[in-house]
Amino acid sequence: MLTTPSKKQPMLFFPEFRNWESAWALEALYVVAYEIRILAERADRELAFNGKSPEKLKGAGSFLMKVFGVLAGKGPKRVGALYVTCQLFKIYFKLGTVNLCRSVIRSIETARIFDFEEFPKRDKVTYMYYTGRLEVFNENFPAADHKLSYALMHCHPHNEANIRMILKYLIPVKLSIGVLPKDWLLEKYGLVEYNNVIQALKRGDLRLLREALEEHEDRFLRSGVFLVLEKLELQVYQRLLKKIYIIQKQRDPSKAHQMKLEVIVKALKWLEIDMDLDEVECIVAILIYKNLVKGYFAHKSKVVVLSKQDPFPKLNSKPVNS
Amino acid sequence: MKFSLPEKKLPSKNTQRPAKRQHLAGGLNAANNDASSDSDKEQSLTAYYSSAISIANTPEEKKRRESRSKRFEKGQGHRAEINYLKQKNAGAGNLYSRRASALMISKSFDDSGSKAVEDIDWDALTVKGTCQEIEKRYLRLTSAPDPSSVRPEEVLEKALLMVQNSQKNYLYKCDQLKSIRQDLTVQRIQNQLTVKVYETHARLSLEAGDLPEYNQCQSQLKTLYAEGIEGCDMEFAAYNLLCVILHSNNNRDLVSSMSRLTEGSKKDKAVKHALAVRAAVTSGNYVMFFRLYEDAPNLNSCLMDLYVEKMRYRAVSCMSRSYRPTIPVSYIARVLGFCRTSDANDEDSDGSGLVECLEWMKAHGACLASDDGGEIQLDTKASSSSLYMPEPEDAVAHGDANLAVNDFLTRTSL
Repeated sequence: MLTTPSKKQPMLFFPEFRNWESAWALEALYVVAYEIRILAERADRELAFNGKSPEKLKGAGSFLMKVFGVLAGKGPKRVGALYVTCQLFKIYFKLGTVNLCRSVIRSIETARIFDFEEFPKRDKVTYMYYTGRLEVFNENFPAADHKLSYALMHCHPHNEANIRMILKYLIPVKLSIGVLPKDWLLEKYGLVEYNNVIQALKRGDLRLLREALEEHEDRFLRSGVFLVLEKLELQVYQRLLKKIYIIQKQRDPSKAHQMKLEVIVKALKWLEIDMDLDEVECIVAILIYKNLVKGYFAHKSKVVVLSKQDPFPKLNSKPVNS
Repeated sequence: MKFSLPEKKLPSKNTQRPAKRQHLAGGLNAANNDASSDSDKEQSLTAYYSSAISIANTPEEKKRRESRSKRFEKGQGHRAEINYLKQKNAGAGNLYSRRASALMISKSFDDSGSKAVEDIDWDALTVKGTCQEIEKRYLRLTSAPDPSSVRPEEVLEKALLMVQNSQKNYLYKCDQLKSIRQDLTVQRIQNQLTVKVYETHARLSLEAGDLPEYNQCQSQLKTLYAEGIEGCDMEFAAYNLLCVILHSNNNRDLVSSMSRLTEGSKKDKAVKHALAVRAAVTSGNYVMFFRLYEDAPNLNSCLMDLYVEKMRYRAVSCMSRSYRPTIPVSYIARVLGFCRTSDANDEDSDGSGLVECLEWMKAHGACLASDDGGEIQLDTKASSSSLYMPEPEDAVAHGDANLAVNDFLTRTSL
């Protein structure tokens, strides 16, 4: 039996560990916690392969929750709590039960015995990475930006695999608050799937955005950023209208601030996107509603009347109004 | 805007009690009317309760009760969600009749101290039925049933056909289908008939707006499809997507559901429609949403019904901030699905859609004005600060026919 040895060994180790006041056994604890998760993952793969229900990883999660409880007390052992927390995160993310992260996060961030700065740097980076991912799910982009940026800044510069993992989430977050990454960054870390998304944003090319999302749909869905990227559509529309505005301004500055709906329809048609007046009118209304366009829509004359001051405001690191 | 009404303050809950009391009284009357079998009935009831009590005390039963109560928590969440969306609307009678049915069914769920048929461990109790009755009332079981009260597969096929052809209301059909499901479960029958039964019940519950019942059927269908039993899995993949999109409002569940779609299912018409609805909801594109609503395959529009109110409110809020100085109410009625367009006639022929829209606007605090030509307009500037989502109204006060007292009396004599 694959799981018998691992099941017995920690049972002998942890009751003793509970009684130790000093932290000298933390390294051993780390190894045991890590091995429990790895072995549970392997056991579940084998169970699933044999047609049985894979439950070892879930059991490992329950067990590590108890370990967390042992560490979460006064005394030098508590600095090990963040490592166990990160192992729990890996388990919950794998199982798809990320709601279970909430109680652990609450302990780490509110319990008085924990001072975040006391934890080992490596564990803080991992913690910020996973909690940043949770904020992406919640579409709390400022918080996600803060956490993922922290993880990126404190990540070891030579660990390119980890940097890539962080950027995979940080880039969509930055895009959502109007910040575009440098081309060399994508190239260096092999994040080619974001190339056309960024080009679409620069050009106001809605067709290119849709093609990019469709091409990498499986990848974006698996990582959980598809919905975030899809919402960039409004920014692409904003960019398109801004380009029309710039062209109009060059032709006739005195009429630049009035944009006919049918002109937008034609621009979209040029991008091979067929939309009728009603639909484009709706898009324009949404852009104004969310403050991506400043002005108003005159329904009777079918004209967007743009503000003479800064009709296409930048996001300035703030997310689009929801 | 988000509501956080405590469960106890829901007025509809209090109003349900008199109806329930009536139902019990009806039951007793039925028993009294049958004097010849009075003593037999009393004895069987005694046996039923004594066995129920003995089972209730076992540790295994306690565990099942816990898992059951957890599912109730989920169910109640759905019911609360449904209540928030209710409001008076003459043109949406069908919607409210479905809601009322759902309330009744949900309430009967809450009142029972027992467990759903799918929660019982039937492996230990598998029986072979001999009953030949096509029509049979649903009676919750807590112990092994008498084989003479369980219908074999060929009889269940006839029973399903009977339900499908019946003209009776949702409550009756729900009762009969739960009985059929129970007979399938106690006999451990899992085949195409089982799939058909759950699909039929799921569709009826969607039409009735009974989301808890729908979720139960959907859960079973997922298992049955996964075992390779043929059915309308594309149709139900679309319903499942719409449920996640419109009711659970959970990004992780949504991404999971989308990830699980195969290339084949993404090409299916119903699934494609559901994905387009999702995109419209995500971006707040009300024009697209109501076009999809108009052109929905299968029962996709039944699930969309529960989002119509919210989408209309979002749309009018958006218009109030974006349009100046006014926008015609006739335009709003057209793009927000108040007017039913048809091939023959593009206009709202009898004007009822416009009237319905006006009523909706007034109920939500919109400011209206007439223009020089006499056409009614939405005053966008004034409306942007006066709009509100009204409190949901009591469905029973709405005079829903499905809650007629007669149904409870006739039901007892099935």
